[in-house]
Amino acid sequence: MIKQFANLLTQDEVVNVHEASLEILENVGLLVRNEKARQIFKRHGCQVDSQTAIVKIPRRIVEECRKSFVPRYTFTARDPKYDKVLPDDSPVIVTASSAPNIIDPKTGEERRATSTDIANIAHLINELPGYDVFSISTLAEDAPEGQFSLSRFYPALKNCLKPVRSNTPNMHDLKQVLELGALIAGSEEAYRERPFINHHYCPVVSPLTMDVESTEAVIYLVEQGLPVYGTIVPNAGMTAPMSLLGTLVLGNAEFLALATLIQLIRPGAPLIYAVLSTVADMRSGAYAPGAIETAILQVAHTQMARFYNVPSGGYIGLTNAHVNDAQSGYETGMLTTAALLAGADLFNMGGLLSSLMAFDYAKAVIDNEIALMLKQLKCGIPFSKEEMCIDLIAEVGPGGTYMDKVHTLKNMRKVALFPKVATRETRGRWEEDGRKDAHQRALQEAINILKKENPAVFPPELDSKIRAHFPGLVPGEAVFND
Amino acid sequence: MGVQSIFDAVISLDSDKVVELVKEEIGKGTDVSSILEQGLIAAMDEVGKRFSEGQFFVPEMLLAAQAMKAGIDVLRPYLIRSDSKSKKGTVVIGTVKGDLHDIGKNLVAMMLEGAGFEVHDLGVDVDTDTFVNAAKEKNADIVAMSALLTTTMPTMEEVIKAIKENQLKCKTMVGGAPVTQAFASRIGADGYSEDAPGAVEKARELLGL
Repeated sequence: MIKQFANLLTQDEVVNVHEASLEILENVGLLVRNEKARQIFKRHGCQVDSQTAIVKIPRRIVEECRKSFVPRYTFTARDPKYDKVLPDDSPVIVTASSAPNIIDPKTGEERRATSTDIANIAHLINELPGYDVFSISTLAEDAPEGQFSLSRFYPALKNCLKPVRSNTPNMHDLKQVLELGALIAGSEEAYRERPFINHHYCPVVSPLTMDVESTEAVIYLVEQGLPVYGTIVPNAGMTAPMSLLGTLVLGNAEFLALATLIQLIRPGAPLIYAVLSTVADMRSGAYAPGAIETAILQVAHTQMARFYNVPSGGYIGLTNAHVNDAQSGYETGMLTTAALLAGADLFNMGGLLSSLMAFDYAKAVIDNEIALMLKQLKCGIPFSKEEMCIDLIAEVGPGGTYMDKVHTLKNMRKVALFPKVATRETRGRWEEDGRKDAHQRALQEAINILKKENPAVFPPELDSKIRAHFPGLVPGEAVFND
Repeated sequence: MGVQSIFDAVISLDSDKVVELVKEEIGKGTDVSSILEQGLIAAMDEVGKRFSEGQFFVPEMLLAAQAMKAGIDVLRPYLIRSDSKSKKGTVVIGTVKGDLHDIGKNLVAMMLEGAGFEVHDLGVDVDTDTFVNAAKEKNADIVAMSALLTTTMPTMEEVIKAIKENQLKCKTMVGGAPVTQAFASRIGADGYSEDAPGAVEKARELLGL
């Protein structure tokens, strides 16, 4: 474990950021486009202007809601052994999601993703040990009319036992997906016992605006006691001040606004302080989630989350690179390492290139390895008298070797992580082996997994029941022909 | 060199100065279409060029577009009176249903206006019927749509379908971070651009200007 988290702010500065956020919520307020949300705020004493839809939240209401914040958030899985709890199981590693495209594993070209791709990716994520939650990586271009989200959730749930997470664009899709959940669970009651669809939205559009559809979904799910959380996404220079601190303050205010809405609906509803705070590349306006500033902001937001005693994290470890190259590796590696050392719990990081635009199988395998490295790093140095090995050091003495010691034999398979992608070969052996780079080795690993049968699929009876319930449903089979 | 100084004021992002100079030129009796063409539009072409070369950053392009728009607002009553030749075409623009992201869309709208187009901005979260009705009502030459969310992007196809079903003659343009040329072609959009200056070029090209 990490005994002292990395901080970029002093405790006084944390309090200052909190105070500044309260001031913004009280004096500037938010544009709340969702009618129900405005009513909820109004009912609890916020100042709501019915003409402008601006909602001002007095500090006492935010402070009152803070009292019902809870420190834990659970991701429920189809199979209970894959349930994950923040922060106890952190770092919880999640795939990054909703890319429209995929890099075709055979041609290496970018194309639109389909429901079959989602099935294959679900199979892969189910098998890769670094991933804890499968956030549905892509969209499904082949979705039949009226089944946009169903065509994503069905192949995902069918092929992955780990918690599945994603969003829905409207209430029709949300209710359809919940219907699917109830069918899989056997009944609505059984589903509510273990709600294994983990909903996520970005209901706050920076600066200081709550939208209609996502906010509607969040309200519904919180009312129903179903799992949901939001990510706050300010972009400095575009939708937030061109200042790291200003963006932190704005993003923090937006988190508090969403958290307040959730607590007003159901005090004690679990939260994650999740962000994707970035600084825009003002040369072109490009979105830059792979920039180091994303990590700086994540570290600071994580400090704020610690102040509120809620789990933290977000989309951290994304890359702007278009291929699985050095940039892809150093952006994902540096950003996640910083966040981990700062104590972030949730990492939406795996598998996507081109700032969330395209899924790549090899990237997912490399990110799995990065995830395992992060988990290893988080374990830190187990500290005990025994672990100090004083007797052993005395026994071997100066000039000896530890190679032939029982202690070494006992520990050598558990002290170090054995990477599958990283090479430790000599140059000669590596050349003989075809000079394969990390991307090629990772892609091969993905193909090896995908060629095997998927142990996670639905029992046939359940599958026919689902297919009868939703006529025209996509096949959702993981099929991978080499 | 009155018109040249208007050009310079746009390049230096000075709205107040542009307004002042345009008024001055009108007072002097300078041909309004030369104020527009050689002063304002030429300046925006230069801004677009500097942006493409990496000299100008996005906020500079935005402020230049605002300066130019301020100039056009002063010029507008005179333009209508003098000739309609300077009007390049009518564009209906908006961010599609379910999406509130409008920075890119606003920039494109402003740049189009700066290039002499008549622009009707429908705002954000615009549904298909609103696009179609506005296109009919304004007799639009181009309907331009923007989306940032990958989940709202498919709505663009619906709008294009509806425009075709209604047999409207207007061209369609799409843009936004997740949109690519391949996507634009697949959904049957007539034009696509990666950035705002490119959108102006594309609009000109579509209307044969």
